Amino acid sequence: MSSESATMAGTGRDLANSDDIIVAENVDKWFGDFQALDDISMTVKEHEIVVVLGPSGSGKSTFIRCLNRLEEHDAGRIVIDGIEMNDDVRNLNAIRSEVGMVFQQFNLFPHLSVLSNITLGPQKVRRMPKLDAEALAMQLLERVGIPEQADKYPAQLSGGQQQRVAIARALAMQPKIMLFDEPTSALDPEMIKEVLDVMQELALSGMTMIVVTHEMGFAREVADRLIFFDEGALVEEGTPQHFFENPQEERTKLFLSQIL
Amino acid sequence: MTNEGPPDDRLQPMTAPAGGPARRVVLPPHRQRAARPFRERAADWLRSNLFASWDRTLSTIVSFAILGGVIAFVIWFVISYADWNVITDNRRLLFIGSFPHGEEWRLWAGLSFVLAMVGAAYGMWSRLGPRDALFIVLGSAFAFFMILHDTSQAWAALWFGIGVVLLAAGYFICRLVPREEGRARRVATRTLTAVLALSVPVVFALLMAGPGGADTDQLSGYLLNLLLAPAGIVGGLIVGIPLALGRASSLKAISWTCTTYIEVVRGAPLIGWLFVALFILSDLIGGDLIVRTMVVLAVFTGAYMAEYIRGGLQALPRGQYEAGHAVGLPYWRTMQLIIMPQALRISIPPIVGQAIALWKDTALISIILPLRELVGSSRSAIAQGEFITARIEVYVFAAVMFWIVAFVMSRVSQRIEGSLGVGER
Repeated sequence: MSSESATMAGTGRDLANSDDIIVAENVDKWFGDFQALDDISMTVKEHEIVVVLGPSGSGKSTFIRCLNRLEEHDAGRIVIDGIEMNDDVRNLNAIRSEVGMVFQQFNLFPHLSVLSNITLGPQKVRRMPKLDAEALAMQLLERVGIPEQADKYPAQLSGGQQQRVAIARALAMQPKIMLFDEPTSALDPEMIKEVLDVMQELALSGMTMIVVTHEMGFAREVADRLIFFDEGALVEEGTPQHFFENPQEERTKLFLSQIL
Repeated sequence: MTNEGPPDDRLQPMTAPAGGPARRVVLPPHRQRAARPFRERAADWLRSNLFASWDRTLSTIVSFAILGGVIAFVIWFVISYADWNVITDNRRLLFIGSFPHGEEWRLWAGLSFVLAMVGAAYGMWSRLGPRDALFIVLGSAFAFFMILHDTSQAWAALWFGIGVVLLAAGYFICRLVPREEGRARRVATRTLTAVLALSVPVVFALLMAGPGGADTDQLSGYLLNLLLAPAGIVGGLIVGIPLALGRASSLKAISWTCTTYIEVVRGAPLIGWLFVALFILSDLIGGDLIVRTMVVLAVFTGAYMAEYIRGGLQALPRGQYEAGHAVGLPYWRTMQLIIMPQALRISIPPIVGQAIALWKDTALISIILPLRELVGSSRSAIAQGEFITARIEVYVFAAVMFWIVAFVMSRVSQRIEGSLGVGER
């Protein structure tokens, strides 16, 4: 098992490649007796947009949650921008300030205004002066298209607006990498587009992004590379063209036939 | 009130556009009702709320009969049956027990300090409306003038004046602090919170420090309840917050320790713990009986507070912790900035419930300990031969005194809930 995975990791991928901003090597994750991630190895280059597909329970969310240690991997290595993910708290904090995350349920802080949601990280973690943080927050709210909502509270916003605030909140930490965990799955259909538009703009601006989503249109148009997970394993990866026109694995074909 | 024109007219602007042709103003339905004469509306209200059907009419009559009977009984008891001389003659004993004579200025100074704090809290976090202001001033007037009857009323009036001035000063100084979040407000709220947290020891110092200050066994009567309850409540929160975090901790040793503490303390009645204060603690740590009692009250209340706060912690979705971490906040900062503000807000109603329970539980103290709080003082008052028949009056009085503070606490809690938007998210 281990020798096989070692050769897999060795083939075709140069882990020392300085373009690789995310490196995962033979990552395992267990929840009790259930193996959620089975020997995942992959890399992501800077500015790359990777879309992760897979049926529910396939481990795709668990995987990206391992990338900023909302879940702790049990075996293997994860290196983010040259920083080893281990028990060293300084490394962990360094990684978390480089990796922004957007959740399915938005997870805005309901007791803080929209503006304070965004300025919290820069002020408390980056020690940015309040006025600078607010200027940055307003700039980001302009970017996601809702500057007029700055003084409201999250509960007063629609789902799509909340998710755009969540994106602005993550961007306020000026991350190099953005993780999206099913960002549109909790949204009403008419609000999905406004969030996808923001994400597309972000992709065009050169952000490195890993997106777990079921939005095939987004995957087809925006992704540089698609990854398919099933039962905790990385089954297939390739360009959108490869996936939608010529998938190789049976499980990939089955999944795509079910959702397309 | 008939409508002219199609029903859509109701949705039109209520007044004709200026310069337009004269047009009959059609009010929307809710305004039409308000425009009806009071007598009609009152009759409607009575009919729909009290006499809507025969069974409701019956229940209204029965309820009013019971209510009227109770009120009549209370009026009869207060005015005609009861002999309130036992209260007026023992006023000093009931309120301040054996507080040293000639040192009453300490009580007045303490009360003035409390008024300044009340004013400051109103100024910082709320608004002092005329109703609240009147209530506070009347309440404090009662306290200033009723506490003592054998000292000069002139002194009481002077201190009452000082108290009201301090109340206003605290209020208006804190009104100067900008309302919107910012550095100035943050510094001001932190300073005020620190002063508030210190106010219990400050009041104790005012009462006890220096030559002539009260000894431990001279603190008694209603005053003792008023001193012990805040100490227990504040101490309980100080004990309870770390306990709640500890019980929720993923470190098993800490979580088991905190769980054991909570379960052991909650598993025995307060009376038992007061025995501990009286006997076991005196051997272990010695010290003043009042201090030991306060420690026990804090320890006891802390276990309950911890459980309520833990409830608040568990009510928060896991996503709040994750979002805090994802924004880059370390564990303690996430707790401080994201989790605790929300958890405490959720926990306010049960925390206040526990505070009220503790306030009433201070009546247990004189059952066990040689400390005579209001109930103990009441028994002393009755024990004097001349008032032996007036025990009901004394206990009714004590009950009303307990009720007043409990009622104020419950109203303050509603105020806090309202201003924090508990129940909204």
